Amino acid sequence: MKKRYWRCFVCNDIHYGIAAPELCPTCKVLNAYVEISAEEARKTLGGGPGVSLTPDEFRAAVERFAAGQEFQVNPDREKVDLLLKGIFENERNHGLKYCPCRLRCKDWDEDLRIVCPCNFTIHESYKGVPNGECWCGLFVRRT
Amino acid sequence: MARLLMFHGRECPHCMRMMPLVEKLEAETGVHFDKHEIWHDEENADLMRSYRPIIAAECGGQLKVPTFLNPDKGEAVCGEMDYEKLKDWALKQS
Repeated sequence: MKKRYWRCFVCNDIHYGIAAPELCPTCKVLNAYVEISAEEARKTLGGGPGVSLTPDEFRAAVERFAAGQEFQVNPDREKVDLLLKGIFENERNHGLKYCPCRLRCKDWDEDLRIVCPCNFTIHESYKGVPNGECWCGLFVRRT
Repeated sequence: MARLLMFHGRECPHCMRMMPLVEKLEAETGVHFDKHEIWHDEENADLMRSYRPIIAAECGGQLKVPTFLNPDKGEAVCGEMDYEKLKDWALKQS
């Protein structure tokens, strides 16, 4: 099924998915999402206050994301620094935070699969691997 | 000697770790890899994409780096590996 854009009519949260969320995670109103065009989504998202992340803020964001999960951000600080450099270079040069250890194939939906963090828990480098990690090594299984 | 390619990314730690092993292999065996950085050179990226059917089949369906490729035999191997594994693969391509 094809993903579509949805906008909360109360607080203008934007959702991209095959269905609208029942509950708006921001304003907590039920059944508040209406389908909108990609153009409206782009304008709504682009017209608000700038919300850019610095590498340090992104590092903090992925650490919060990993908190309490079976994986953590790699404790190898040097490796993480290099990966964050690549992720941000890719965002600047190619538009999104693409994994520095893979290459986009120029298919929009396919390429979304390699935006960091990716869905690495189903990948062969992590799933069922005792010392598993995501392909680039930003996330490693907690031991 | 087989024509071998290595695709790598400048900010890929696995590629960085493999590079000295590749250079050691080249010095010891005479094998040579044409090296192509793929995130800062669009021509190199397009070259890697042109081999997508071969690479993706061997690399979990995606274009991953580092990738070592024999374009003539259609064989590829990707990821960080130890020296002996890389050497075995490279020598098998001759």
